[in-house]
Amino acid sequence: MSASTNTRMQPGSTVLWEKGDAAGHDALGTRTFGFWLYMLTDAMVYAALFAAFGVLAHNAGLTSKSMLASVFDAQAAYRDTIVLFASVLAYGYAMVALKKGSRTGVAIGIIVATILGVIFLNMVTGDLEHLFSQGVVPQLNGFLSIVFTLVIYHALHIVVGVLWMLVMLMQMGRDGFTSNVVYRLINLRIFWHFQAVIWVFLFVFVYLQGKVI
Amino acid sequence: MSKRGIKGALKALCAPLLLMLSGCSKSGLFLLEPKGLISQVTYHYFNLDVGIMLLIIIPTALLAIWAMWRYRKGGGGDYRPEWSHSYLIEAIVWGIPLITVGVLSYLSIKAIYQVNPYNPGAISSKGTAAGKPLDVDVIATDWRWLFIYPKQKIASVDRLVIPAGVPVRFRLTSTSVVNDFIIPQLVGMIDVMPGMRTKQALVADKTGQYVGYSADYSGAGLSWMNFETKAVTKAQFAAWVKKTQAAPQTMTYADFNRFAKPYLAVHHHRMVFGRVQSGLLDYVVREVMSGKVWRTPMAMTENMVRYMKKQQANVKAGEY
Amino acid sequence: MFVHLQGPWNPVWGRLSLQAIPYQNPILVGTFLFAMIAALAIVGAVFYFRAGPYLWREWFTTVDHKKIGVMYCLLGLVMLFRGFIDALMIRSQQAMAVGPHSPGYLGALHGYLTPFHIGQVYTAHGLIMVVFAATPLLVGIMNIVVPLQIGARDMAYPYLNALGFWLTAAAAALVMLSLFVGNFAHGGWYGFLPYFELPYSPGVGVDYWMWAFQLSAIGTTMGSINLIATIVKMRAPGMTWMRMPIFTWASLSTNLIALTSFPVLMVSLALLGLDRYFGTHFYTAGQGGNLMLYNDLFWVWGHPEVYFLILPAFGMMSEIIPTFSEKTLFGYATMVVASFAIGGVSWGVWLHHFFTMAAEPSVNSFYSVTTMLVGIPTGVKVFNWIFTMYRGRVRFELPMLWALLALFLLLVGGMTGMMNAFAASDYMWHNGVFVVAHFHMMVLLIASSIFGAVEYWFPKVFGFKLEQRWGKWFFWFMVLGTAWVFVPMFILGFAGMTRRLDYVPVTQWAPYLRVMLVGMAFYVVALGFFVAHLYVSLRDRMKNRVGADPWGTTRNLEWMTHSPVPAYNFAFIPRVHARDEWAWRKEHGMANLGNESFEDIHMPRNTGVPVLLGALSFALCFALVWRIWWLAAACLGLVVLVIILRSFARKTDEVIPATTVAGVERAAQDALASPARG
Repeated sequence: MSASTNTRMQPGSTVLWEKGDAAGHDALGTRTFGFWLYMLTDAMVYAALFAAFGVLAHNAGLTSKSMLASVFDAQAAYRDTIVLFASVLAYGYAMVALKKGSRTGVAIGIIVATILGVIFLNMVTGDLEHLFSQGVVPQLNGFLSIVFTLVIYHALHIVVGVLWMLVMLMQMGRDGFTSNVVYRLINLRIFWHFQAVIWVFLFVFVYLQGKVI
Repeated sequence: MSKRGIKGALKALCAPLLLMLSGCSKSGLFLLEPKGLISQVTYHYFNLDVGIMLLIIIPTALLAIWAMWRYRKGGGGDYRPEWSHSYLIEAIVWGIPLITVGVLSYLSIKAIYQVNPYNPGAISSKGTAAGKPLDVDVIATDWRWLFIYPKQKIASVDRLVIPAGVPVRFRLTSTSVVNDFIIPQLVGMIDVMPGMRTKQALVADKTGQYVGYSADYSGAGLSWMNFETKAVTKAQFAAWVKKTQAAPQTMTYADFNRFAKPYLAVHHHRMVFGRVQSGLLDYVVREVMSGKVWRTPMAMTENMVRYMKKQQANVKAGEY
Repeated sequence: MFVHLQGPWNPVWGRLSLQAIPYQNPILVGTFLFAMIAALAIVGAVFYFRAGPYLWREWFTTVDHKKIGVMYCLLGLVMLFRGFIDALMIRSQQAMAVGPHSPGYLGALHGYLTPFHIGQVYTAHGLIMVVFAATPLLVGIMNIVVPLQIGARDMAYPYLNALGFWLTAAAAALVMLSLFVGNFAHGGWYGFLPYFELPYSPGVGVDYWMWAFQLSAIGTTMGSINLIATIVKMRAPGMTWMRMPIFTWASLSTNLIALTSFPVLMVSLALLGLDRYFGTHFYTAGQGGNLMLYNDLFWVWGHPEVYFLILPAFGMMSEIIPTFSEKTLFGYATMVVASFAIGGVSWGVWLHHFFTMAAEPSVNSFYSVTTMLVGIPTGVKVFNWIFTMYRGRVRFELPMLWALLALFLLLVGGMTGMMNAFAASDYMWHNGVFVVAHFHMMVLLIASSIFGAVEYWFPKVFGFKLEQRWGKWFFWFMVLGTAWVFVPMFILGFAGMTRRLDYVPVTQWAPYLRVMLVGMAFYVVALGFFVAHLYVSLRDRMKNRVGADPWGTTRNLEWMTHSPVPAYNFAFIPRVHARDEWAWRKEHGMANLGNESFEDIHMPRNTGVPVLLGALSFALCFALVWRIWWLAAACLGLVVLVIILRSFARKTDEVIPATTVAGVERAAQDALASPARG
């Protein structure tokens, strides 16, 4: 191409090959970049689910809002929110400790985040059990199907996150801050924060919507 | 191989060209011989569309052939390996498709409004001159068509009788799965969906008999889910209505619940019903919306050999 | 357990019983015997040559992007064969079953296939060709070529790459298993709602379809994450965005489409799964469900997916045409813009898949226009290829023939595509065979590009060229078959014939259907030539050995390293100076390979975990299809466990010592220097 031939180079003075282990590139950056891409796919899954929520809520018409108001306890959900946010905050402190290279700091942060995550799960399953016992089940109609699917799919992410944190505690204890452990901690941070973001949407659309409008 | 087989094979071998020629005889080529107002409008726009596209595609194909032949290796065309950019060519290259798409878009939008199934511009622009419309309710079951004439309170299975020259307005719904209603020589496709009501409209130009069928996959009975459309004169239509009203069979909501059970219409029992309970279509829509399901039994969806043998025996008995 | 099931269920075997084996069906018994003989032959050969350990060590457990790519291509070819057999069955059934007096065999009323059976064939043909033939072939070629083109030693995530392949393979195996255990979905590859709900499809067919689809979607998404990360993060120094080879650009845009659209497919299928397994009401007609929701979600994936398939094909054409025109690509920047324009527009056209659902005319107008917009960048690409040949020196070698066939098919497919986009006309043939003929033009375009690409890059991967004589016979018979099958199909489209018919009620259509059968015969002959082509090439492989640059006029980085490419791709990572780096180096007399002091190279270590995960997910899906809950739970638990245990592995890479590298490089140079003998 002409653009290249403008800058004519002499064969002798041209660097043709990179010496050194260039395949290494920026290992940490590559790993986290891929995880961002994965998060994008998860965001698309949520986007599709929320789109389905919009469609099925429209199907259910006005009743959807009264249904939400009568079925979902916004105050309980507020309590859930605080717990989940506290968990994310604790994980944030763990990451601060990671920057300082403090193994105990990271461990404490993650343990607190894990415990709060388990409490959150406990509360959500409690809510669900309560609803099911009252006969409010996803099989009732399309609108409840999507509402429960959203809540449960999010809860499954929390389960994965909790499992992941337990694994990280073990790996950190075994290996210390190796590059594998560090990039996984960073990726887990992205994952964990994202679940809080999704929860905000859930809280607004599922739990609050019926109350406000 | 029999003589006929050889002949057939030979015929098949001199194929695509022969087919292009035989295309002119138009036997069975429904879309190319439209017999209704809507299908004619569609055909008109179809011709315009194809004409404009060919204006672009044929020169492009010729250009491609010319370029690859003129510049073949050893063909003596001038060789400029570095030449890879020209603002003029790029402008033309973007410009031609842009203009074509612009023109076609305009035509497309115009055509869509002309044949809009809910209120076709081609019919409504005629105003009252089009005549007083006839209403027909269409219910697709697994796998038959029920045509209800709500004003006349009659119904007919797998046979649609309409007066020629009069607009016919359809309301359509399905009991179970999605079907697609089409009479290729009169009007295009419209989805027939359970729990929902769609609309369609047509005018048949001349009297005659036309094929109609379901186009969307709806299960085992799809291939046999066709109906005949008879366009008759107004007088003949009135006579047919009168005769049908005298038929003994009736169609109440309860009758319909039995009628809608899955049935492979291999035999096309073209029944008629002399009295139909009013509001049947709305009743079906309501029922389906509230969760009514006409389940398909396993015999009609899984390994149908035994089931089809039963059908075959009936056909042999002369029930076709 | 949660829903009303027709037929028996028990806790140990789920819905599985001896009745699930279709031993009464002679066609399937024949297929089973064929499959068993083929399997026995393969297993026997493996044992006879004691190839088991070699295959396991060098292929199954590999994380080498080239070998994974080759395995993708093999999978694609096997499935292409299966899909072709399905096509044969469809065409012969329709040729036989015309008119009320056509005879019936094997329990069918007309022809030899019951509606239940041919419904499965339709679904299998569509799903296999799109998801298990075209996709693996394209992903395989991208896998092989992209890292080489950008001067990388492997993909960004080699382990994930292997995992993606084995999940796809597991999904394909699931489809194949449905032939002999149970049945497949009967309807169409994209699913019909509410027809695919439990009341109307009570068997396991839809479940097979759903899980196989889902598994392959997960595999493809992994692949797309990998390719994007590779292209963004692993380019050789000096390779700026606008110096990237055009095929890499096409891969980037296509994988961006896959990354964003496949999750939507997963959702659309998962919600159907919830309906079928838990009795929810997402897509039911009643109780607040919405069946159009499925169509929307599915085609929000489905249409971008079409361009996911076609953009790499365009990329391949854009590589082959300049090479065999001995010239640079015309309008590189325009090509890049056009690729991304197609990718972008692909998100705004999905509603044209249900133009006839009675949307407002304004809505249909919008989607009609957006669909036509796709024609602009596509038209630009066609013109750019033509102007690439202009003032070039066109050589009609096999890859070029395929690329040119693709170009002409694109003209036909593009023209008919514009006719489909014209919504008012589309109403007449929306579910008709005109649309079928149109998208087969597009899919055959993809297939031609793939064949071209295989011819083109084959010597790079295996170190010898494919022979040309039988290959040309293969090419011309493919052309013949295409004309004989699809010209009548277009005409039948104008006749108003609709899709997926088991029995054709209109007798006048019989001649067209018979001519199509003749076309199928040409395709069968072509298949024979293809086999001969492969056989002769393999037999004469020593005679056809080639060096780094077998075509002489290639332009990109992949042609700089040896053929076959060593495990580490490049002994030294090249520094890039120009858009067509290899052409630039040849032009400036710097075509020699650097062979000074070699260094140790870090490469990822082979692992059997992806194979294990593939097998487990296969078992998981099988258990879910038959509702064997205990097995499903066990498999799911094992999958989680294996993933966690793998994350504890410490040694995931190894070092190729400098001496080994030097040995490999010397051997490759020597092979080049010594004249090839037969």
